Amino acid sequence: MTAATVTAPERSGVGRLDRRSWKVPIAFGLVTLAALVLFVILGRDRIVSFNLSTGTDLIQLPLLAFPALAGGIVVTVVLAVVTAFAVFRVWERRPVPLWVIVIGTVVAIVGFLAWAGAGATLQVPGLLTGTLFLATPLVYGALAGVIGERGGVVNIAIEAQLLGGAFTSAVVASLTQQPFVGLAAAGLAGMLVAFLLAAFAIKYFVEQVIVGVVINVLVSGLTGFLYSQVLTENRQLLNSPVRFDRIDIPLLSQIPVIGPTLFRQTILVYLMYVIVAVVAFALYRTKWGLRLRAVGEHPKAADTVGINVARTRFWNVALAGVIAGFGGAFFTLGSNGAFNKDMTNGAGFIALAAVIFGGWDPVRATLAALLFGFASNLQNALSVIGSPVPSEFMLMLPYVVTIAAVAGLVGRSRAPAADGVPYIKS
Amino acid sequence: MTHTTRKAALAGLALLGASSLVLAGCAAAPDSGETTGPALDFKPCMVSDLGGFDDKSFNQLGYEGITEAAKELGVEATTVESNAESDYVPNIENLVSEGCDLIVTVGFALSAATVEEALANPDVMFAIVDDAADNDFNGETDAPNIKPILFDTSQAAFLAGYVMASYSTSGIVGTYGGMNFPTVSIFMDGAAQGIDYYNSEMGTSVSLLGWDEAAQDGTFIGSFEAGTDSYNAAKNLIDQGADVLLPVGGPIYQSAIEAIADSGKDVAMVGVDADLTETDPDSASLFLTSILKQIKVAVAEVTKEASSGSLDYSPYIGTLGNSGVGIAPFHDFESKVKPELSGEVDAIAEGIIGGTIPVKSYLAG
Repeated sequence: MTAATVTAPERSGVGRLDRRSWKVPIAFGLVTLAALVLFVILGRDRIVSFNLSTGTDLIQLPLLAFPALAGGIVVTVVLAVVTAFAVFRVWERRPVPLWVIVIGTVVAIVGFLAWAGAGATLQVPGLLTGTLFLATPLVYGALAGVIGERGGVVNIAIEAQLLGGAFTSAVVASLTQQPFVGLAAAGLAGMLVAFLLAAFAIKYFVEQVIVGVVINVLVSGLTGFLYSQVLTENRQLLNSPVRFDRIDIPLLSQIPVIGPTLFRQTILVYLMYVIVAVVAFALYRTKWGLRLRAVGEHPKAADTVGINVARTRFWNVALAGVIAGFGGAFFTLGSNGAFNKDMTNGAGFIALAAVIFGGWDPVRATLAALLFGFASNLQNALSVIGSPVPSEFMLMLPYVVTIAAVAGLVGRSRAPAADGVPYIKS
Repeated sequence: MTHTTRKAALAGLALLGASSLVLAGCAAAPDSGETTGPALDFKPCMVSDLGGFDDKSFNQLGYEGITEAAKELGVEATTVESNAESDYVPNIENLVSEGCDLIVTVGFALSAATVEEALANPDVMFAIVDDAADNDFNGETDAPNIKPILFDTSQAAFLAGYVMASYSTSGIVGTYGGMNFPTVSIFMDGAAQGIDYYNSEMGTSVSLLGWDEAAQDGTFIGSFEAGTDSYNAAKNLIDQGADVLLPVGGPIYQSAIEAIADSGKDVAMVGVDADLTETDPDSASLFLTSILKQIKVAVAEVTKEASSGSLDYSPYIGTLGNSGVGIAPFHDFESKVKPELSGEVDAIAEGIIGGTIPVKSYLAG
């Protein structure tokens, strides 16, 4: 008996859908229209180049250059075809395959880049590295959210766990001059915050969203207070951590485009790959994952077969806290070095959006986090080369993407049935 | 049983919430300067913006200015930090009711609150750092008892832009800012003009990334905090080949330091507001020069003037001419820049002061 059959959700039959959902075709129709106006009618008739190699690559790919206007026309035509295909599929009462959506999205993005970057050279590895860089803490946060919510505990406090991890890792890594000790301390800090959440949410059945919000305020206040009263006074001793060095993986780091993006990173990013893989595997294929999903979908049933619901939830929330704490360490040990007041800057909430956008699935949540990272990095990469889009609009982009994504480009997502509901054993 | 434990839990939660509020309040505790000598009947006061007095930037410089002046006058300065935008008006009101004679507000963010309070309290002297207190844009200060303390930083940034262009070997220099506000973009405008001037004098084509003077838009990270956004902005500029960076916005330069270290390239940096070689000596080897804003001196001067009981409310505008703005010495870069550069910069500074080299900015038209 798996968790999926326990809940018996109201799912429609396989194959043909009983209702036509026009969301995808309408969305692509609008994108195609925008492409027509922007790339063709308002097209910028200049050459755009994509640089695919970094200076230190063994294999130097040639500069990819083409006229932006011609590229825009091709992109618009492809988008029109994708839209037509989507309309056809929906008319046939069939779902639009994911790969079609992915192709359409990628083509639209390339078209936008070509239009915005006309007359300049876009550094593709830089664009992708920046994406991964900004997405890393989001991925950690999103994984923490997935584990918590799959177990039935809504974790609004991801932000607090990231911030706690960032603070603790900076202080400990400064004191010990050992980034690994700092990383461990960050995990511990995330876990302590999680204990707080777990105690109130699981033991005392307090409304989880409220606990989460209070914890966010608490950690922000606490770290902010310690930062301005203690850390700024003793910056040398307490707030100048040793950061992780970048490790180039031999051979893999020499693959064009992928190498510089994925395999010239710090240990924190490699650790993230491992955690994503392990969580994605374990959630669906191990006893741990089955139990976790069971207490999140139908705690009563889990209880009847002898699973201790409260204990399972408690320790999984703690585990999620450790992961979020690692993510927090990225803000200090993986990038900026010194801790700053409220330096997570809302990453925890974006991670939460990634959890929902990713449909409570570790891999899809990771992809969602990468999308947000890309949207954030786009502003930066484009304004450097002089983009025609106002910087304020581009700064808004990640949040627009968040709303659009959550509001349903991918359709309605279904939360674990007992998500946020305390299990009161009668 | 369950009922009572739940109650206890809720009480605990309330306690947590309350304690976090107390903690948040702690940071805002009024800070008093030292007192020496007999009391003059004068009470100078200051309100920070969200950055707080430890921002290593204009709040801190303003704080140092007012406490220094107060010490010299033998009076006590009362300073209050703001933790939220909703704190601005109450903080000023508290200072008014405490009997402050002069209230200095730091930053354009407090502009509206300062005007409101100045109109309500016509016998209190007000001064505002980095803002003209002209929210209806009619070219005049909105209340008669506010002294704007402004800096035409573009003049100093012009010199820095010239230095950046001269130092760059790749022919590409880069800048990015916190947010697109006039007090931020004035640095970029000045630097862009300085680079243009260098190009026209030397026949080179050094380009500036991250700021488009014509469009008045460029690279902004959306906050004034060091962190991943700032790091990434610096990294993007370095990726594009920039070998001198100008991060404009208080502490955001700290992330650029890390980005430069990670790039493994020979990239220099220009500081803003204070001479970073002095305020952050650990990274002195990266600072080509700094664009200085003498906020501390200006605030101290205004405080001393106000202690006589009256204040000339015409705006103070720091320029190269009155040494309100300037650029820092090259320090560690003395041997790396062209030997004639220092002389060239002095000559340009004289040209700007004399009016033969025009520098455009929102303050100078």
